[in-house]
Amino acid sequence: MFRFQSLDEDCTLEKEEGLVEEEDEIDQFNDDTFGDGAIDDDWQEEHKRLAELEEQKNNGLGGLGLGALGMGGMGGGNASTVHLPPPASRVPHPSSLPPPHHSLSSMPPPGLEERGGGDLAESLAMLILGADPAIASVGGPAGPGDRSTGLPPPSIPQQHHHPSQLPPHHPLTSSGLPPGPPHPSLLSYQQHQHLIRRGAAPMPQMNSHNIWENNLGFGPVSITPGLLTQMEDSPLMSIIKEVGLPNRPPPMMSEDGRDLSERAPPPRSSSPVIGSPPVRAVPIGTPPKQPMSHAMNHQQQIHHPTAVHVRAPVQHQHRYPPSFPERISPNTLLNIANSPLCRPPFPAGMGPVLSQIQRAQMLNSQVAGFPRGCQGPPLLPGGGGFRPFFGQPPPHRMGPHPGGPPPNHNHVPCPVIRHNTTHLHPQHRRMLTQRMQSRGGERGGRVGDWRSRDPYSNLMTQREKEWVAKIQMMQLQSTDPYLDDYYYQNYFEKMEKRQERDRDGVRKEHTTKLITPQVAKLEHTYRPVQFAGSLGKLTVSSVNNPRKMIDTVVTSRTDDEEKREKQVWNKRRQILYTVEKMYSLLLEVQDFEKRFMQTPEEQREALLEQHKTHTLQLYASLKEKEWDDRVSDEQCLLIMSVRKGKRLISRLIPFLPPLQAATVVMGIARNLPALAKKDKQDQVLCWLVEPIAVVISSLSSASLTDLLQELQGSEGQLSRVLQNKFGVTLLYLILSEGERMQSSNPTCQLMDDNRWTELVFSVTRELLNVPSSSLSPPLFTPPNLLSLFSRYVDRQRLELLQEKLQISALSR
Amino acid sequence: MNYMPGTASLIDDIDKKHLVLLRDGRTLIGFLRSIDQFANLVFHQTVERIHVGKKFGDIPRGIFIVRGENVVLLGEIDIDKLCDNVLQQVSIEEILEEQRLQQQAKQKTEKAKVTALKDRGLSIPKADNLDEY
Repeated sequence: MFRFQSLDEDCTLEKEEGLVEEEDEIDQFNDDTFGDGAIDDDWQEEHKRLAELEEQKNNGLGGLGLGALGMGGMGGGNASTVHLPPPASRVPHPSSLPPPHHSLSSMPPPGLEERGGGDLAESLAMLILGADPAIASVGGPAGPGDRSTGLPPPSIPQQHHHPSQLPPHHPLTSSGLPPGPPHPSLLSYQQHQHLIRRGAAPMPQMNSHNIWENNLGFGPVSITPGLLTQMEDSPLMSIIKEVGLPNRPPPMMSEDGRDLSERAPPPRSSSPVIGSPPVRAVPIGTPPKQPMSHAMNHQQQIHHPTAVHVRAPVQHQHRYPPSFPERISPNTLLNIANSPLCRPPFPAGMGPVLSQIQRAQMLNSQVAGFPRGCQGPPLLPGGGGFRPFFGQPPPHRMGPHPGGPPPNHNHVPCPVIRHNTTHLHPQHRRMLTQRMQSRGGERGGRVGDWRSRDPYSNLMTQREKEWVAKIQMMQLQSTDPYLDDYYYQNYFEKMEKRQERDRDGVRKEHTTKLITPQVAKLEHTYRPVQFAGSLGKLTVSSVNNPRKMIDTVVTSRTDDEEKREKQVWNKRRQILYTVEKMYSLLLEVQDFEKRFMQTPEEQREALLEQHKTHTLQLYASLKEKEWDDRVSDEQCLLIMSVRKGKRLISRLIPFLPPLQAATVVMGIARNLPALAKKDKQDQVLCWLVEPIAVVISSLSSASLTDLLQELQGSEGQLSRVLQNKFGVTLLYLILSEGERMQSSNPTCQLMDDNRWTELVFSVTRELLNVPSSSLSPPLFTPPNLLSLFSRYVDRQRLELLQEKLQISALSR
Repeated sequence: MNYMPGTASLIDDIDKKHLVLLRDGRTLIGFLRSIDQFANLVFHQTVERIHVGKKFGDIPRGIFIVRGENVVLLGEIDIDKLCDNVLQQVSIEEILEEQRLQQQAKQKTEKAKVTALKDRGLSIPKADNLDEY
C-alpha cells in the first residue's frame, strides 16, 4: 500500500487510543534509536480504514460522499480495529444524511444544506469549524469511556462564528464529525487539532495520558489571528487532518533522563574534552527535518526534538497551493493532475490506495487548483508501464475545481554556482557550470516542463540535498590536500598556469587559490585526568577520555643491551646447571652413610668405591684442569657467585679429603675480594665459616701460613677482606689458629720462617690503619687474638688494637 | 544547481529517470527520488527490466529502496530517447519464461561441464557465493 506519509518524516499517523499508553515508552525508544524520522504507526489500522473507505465509496456517493469518505476514513482511521466498522457505518453520508444509529440527532451540516453544492469546500470547512469547538467541548465531558453515547448536537450557531477562522479546506476533518458520534479517536484528533491551535501551551500534554484530562477543560476554541495563518493549510496538512496526527511520545516524560545524559560532567583539570559527547536526540545520520511553523513548533523544536510534528505550514493563501518548496503530497498532485482528464472505471482491486488518492484529491481540489489540469499525466513519459498502481484515478467528479494559479514548479535546474558549498577550484567550477549549461540549454525547456509536471518531484527537499552535500564535503576535509588529493591539486595548478600563460592579464580570477576544506591537525594526547587532591585516577571514562587500564611503560632496549643481558642470563643458567649437577653428586655423597648402613656387607665395597668416585668427581669439577692441588679460580668463582653454589661448597667441604678441602679453602681465601663483592646481595658467605673453621683447625702450620698469605695476596686485598664480615672472620680464624698453635705447641714451626710474623705484622698494621668504619665486625672474635697481638706489637699499639677490635683483654 | 561540481554527487540526478544495475544482476529503472551519503537510493515507479536475448520485459515494482553497497552502476536515462530499435518488448510472462529457459540452458551446460571435468579428475569449485570468501 502506498503510504505517502512515510516519505514525509514529520507526518506520522496518529496512534490508536487504546494502544497509545503502552506504546508511549516504546515510541520514546524508537525516537531515540531512529531519530525523528521513526514512524511508529500501525499500517494495518490504516489499511483497514482505507478499506472501509473504499467500501463506502463504492456505495455510490456523490461529491459529498467523498467528503463522507474522508470523514469515514478519518473516523475509521482513528479508531481501533474493533470500532472501525461501526464508525464507518455510523458516519452518515451527507448526501443521503441518514440519521445515525445512535441517539445523536443527525444534524446535516448546515453549511451543506445552505449552500448545497455551491461551494463544497467552504461549507465543509465551516462544518469543521463549527464542529471542532463543539466537539472539543463535548469531548471533555464525554470522557474516555464514552464511546457509545452520542454527542450533543453540535452548536450550529457556533459554526457561523468561525467561518473565517478555518480555511475551507478542512472539509474532511469537520464534515465527518458533527453528525457522527464522538468517536474517541476522533475526539483525540480534535483534541490534537485544538492543541495545534492553542499553540505551544498544551503541547506537553500531547501524550495519551493527558488527552482526556486536557480536554475536560476545553471550551470553545478561540483562534488567535496569529495562529490563523498556521491554519491555512497545505494539502499535506489536510491530509494530516484526514489521516490523523502523529501521536508523539510524551516529551516531558523522558526529558529529565535525556537532559541528565546530555549534561556534560563538570569541568576537569587536564583533559581537553571531558565526558561523552552530548547525547543527540537526533542521531547525526538522520536527514534534516522539514521546517516547521515557528509559533507552534518552534518551542518544541528547541526543547523536545520529538515534539508533535504537525506540519502546519507557514504561509499559504486560501485555496492556493503552497509554493513548491513546501512539499505537496505527490498523491494529491497526481490526482489533481489526473482527475479531470481520465475517468476510467475504477478497478476494484486497488481499493485502499485509490481511495486515499480520492480523498487527497478532494482535499486539494480547492487548494491546489488544477495547474496541471491541462497537462497530461506527467509520469508516463515512456508509456504505461510506469504507473503500476496509480493508473486509474478515481472516477468521481470532485465538483467544481476553482482554478488556481499553477503552483510554482520545481526549479528548473539552472546551474547556479554556490560559492559557499563548493570549495573546489573556481576553474573547475566554471567548467562544470559550462557543461551544465550546455546540457541544460538543450533540454532545459523540456526538462523544466517535465519537472513541473512531476508531482513526485522534490521529495528530497533542498535542505536534505544540502545536508547530503554537506556530508560529502565533510569527507573532503583534509589536513594535507597535497597528500590526499595529489592529482587533483596538481592538475588544477597546471591548468592555472596554462591559463595564465594563454590569457595573460585578461581575467584575474584565474589566479584565485584553491579552497578545499582544511581541518587543522589536532594533537590528541591522553593525559590522565586527575582531580586536585584526589587519590588515583578517574573511574569514569568516556569516548573522549578513555581510561588507561594498564599503565604500560615502554622500555626500549638496544640490541647490544639485549645481547648482553642474554649473555648474562645464559651464563647464570650455566652456572646453576653446574651447581645442580654437583648437588646431585653431593647428595649422593651425603647419603652415603645411610646407605652404607643399609646395604649388606658384600655390596659395601662397591658402595664405598662409588662414594669415593663421587667425591673425586666433585672435587674434579672444582679444581683446575691441570693442577691437582689448586682450585680453579674461575670455576670456583662462578660457582660461588651463585648463592646455591656457596651453599654447595659449604656442604661439600666437610666431605672432601683434607688436602682437597685445604685447597678449596685456599681458593676461597685467594678470591675473597671478588667473592665478597659478589656476595653483597646474598650475604651468605658466612655459611662457609663453619666448615672452613673446621678445615683451618686441621691445617698444618705451613698451610696456615700459606692461607694467611693467600688472604693477603694481592695489593689491597687485606683491606677489602677486612671490609667484609666473612673476611674478617676468616682472618681471625686464621690468626687464632696460629695463636693456638703457638701457644699450645711452642715448638711449632710457625715461627720458623718469618712469614708468619711478617704476615701478622702486616695484618696488625692494616688493622690499625683501616678506619673503624670500614672494619666490619666479625661473626665472632676468637678470644686468643689479644694474646696473639700482644706477642707482636707493643703496648701502645696493642691498646689501640684492643680498642679498635674491641677485644677484651683476656688472660690466657 | 551546482552541488559540488567536479564530484560524483547524485544530488543532480534526483527526480530523473535512471537505470541501476544491482550486484545480483537485476536491472531497475525508475525515478531517483532520494539519496543519502551512502548512495542508498530511493526509486519511484520502479520497473525491473529483464533482458533475454533481444527481448526484454518490464515488471513494475513500485518503490524501491536500494542499499548503496549493492549498486554496481547507475546511469541516467534520457526520457526523450526511449525507443528501442533493437530490443523488443514482450509481456512479463513471456520474458520470465524466456529467462527460465535461459537459466535452464545455462545450468545444463554447466552441469555437462562439471561432469566432463569430473571424468577427467578435475574439479572447479562453484563460484556461487561471489561475495563471501
